[in-house]
Amino acid sequence: MTGLIPILLLGALILILGGRLLAQWSRQSHAQVVTIEDYSQACAALDSVFVETAAIKRIFANEDMEFISQAGTGDVQRFFLKERKRLAIQWVRMTQKQVAHLMDLHLKLASYTYEPSPRSEGRLTVNHVCFILASNGVSVFLWLFGPFKAVRIVAYTVRAAEYFCSEFRLRLEKIDPVKLGSARQPRSL
Amino acid sequence: MSTNLIWWSSVALETVVLFRGLRAELLKKYLLFYAYVGCVFLIEVLRFCSYTFTPNFYPAFYWHSELITIVASYAVIFEIFGQALRHNPGVARLAQKLLLVVFVIALSYAASDLLHGGFTSVPRATADLGRYLRYVEGALLLVMLWLFGRYRISFGRNLLGLTVGYSLLVGLDVMNLALLSFPGNEFSIGLRKSLPITYLITLSIWCASLWSCQPDPVQSAESAIDRDYEHLAAKTRANFAHLPARVGRKLRP
Repeated sequence: MTGLIPILLLGALILILGGRLLAQWSRQSHAQVVTIEDYSQACAALDSVFVETAAIKRIFANEDMEFISQAGTGDVQRFFLKERKRLAIQWVRMTQKQVAHLMDLHLKLASYTYEPSPRSEGRLTVNHVCFILASNGVSVFLWLFGPFKAVRIVAYTVRAAEYFCSEFRLRLEKIDPVKLGSARQPRSL
Repeated sequence: MSTNLIWWSSVALETVVLFRGLRAELLKKYLLFYAYVGCVFLIEVLRFCSYTFTPNFYPAFYWHSELITIVASYAVIFEIFGQALRHNPGVARLAQKLLLVVFVIALSYAASDLLHGGFTSVPRATADLGRYLRYVEGALLLVMLWLFGRYRISFGRNLLGLTVGYSLLVGLDVMNLALLSFPGNEFSIGLRKSLPITYLITLSIWCASLWSCQPDPVQSAESAIDRDYEHLAAKTRANFAHLPARVGRKLRP
């Protein structure tokens, strides 16, 4: 009976991935394929990662908390903590969205390259999964304890995002320009 | 009566798929796929003749012809692979390596299971071989579907219908054959009965999606856009080269 489970799983996964392919196609038929504009957006997206991560330092800055603790009343402190917690959670969600977008672009662009390396692709996947787990952990931690105790985990998230930036840069260097240009052309026979 | 109806319906749909393939000039484009459909059609007709004129020979003929059908269906795997990745040589190379690994693992698993099962009779051994070949095919298809999804490979309507229909057929057949190999499983009987209907659904999907030739995403010659792209790529490369260091310097606590 134990031998039956992997085979049944195999059959079920084929059906699921077949359905996913159909869903992907219906999305792609409305959305544009990778174009030169998307490429510019990738550049802007990387810039925004830099800008946002710089802003984060302020959200998690202990100096602000120390200042409020010394100068503010209890209500002000509570309000300050609530606001910082909201901002921190919002930032984590934005970072997750940004990295997911980067990953999506990376994969689309990877299909245009002459030689995607299985090793680096595997490494990237592992790192992406780690990032998802870590960032979800950060969200839970922020929600439970507030932003100031979450600094260590945030430091890891920043490092992971930094890794994605460098991987993405390497990917861009390997793009086949002819293939990327052709993606903008309308579909024809 | 209902069995005959399904039988004739599937033969009729196979005829329509082949006819439309010829009329819509898809036969040349998807030659391996149409060769598979033609092979299945021929086997269906031979099975019908065997069932009518030599019923005693039918069970043995069924399992032998089933094995041929499964072997022939590997042509569809090659067709999907070749058509889907013809504009993505990098992903095709990656897929080749991955498929080879999966093929070796799945084949080793199937061979060891087949040898452990022992040899009872020729029809039984043929049925087992067919089952394991289907498992291997399922594993290959799974890897291909995963790669298509992962790298967001663009599909034309024809190829999409071909792939989705084939996935439905193989996915359910793999589950059915697995359950069939465990005697006394009541769910297997239900699934076995529903399988011909699944095949009819698959043929209907193929019939609808391959009714006429639909445009595919194609590669075009270099244009002004490419030159713009190269400018932009050079610009962004220079930009990205310093970005990680800048990010790291600013953000490390």
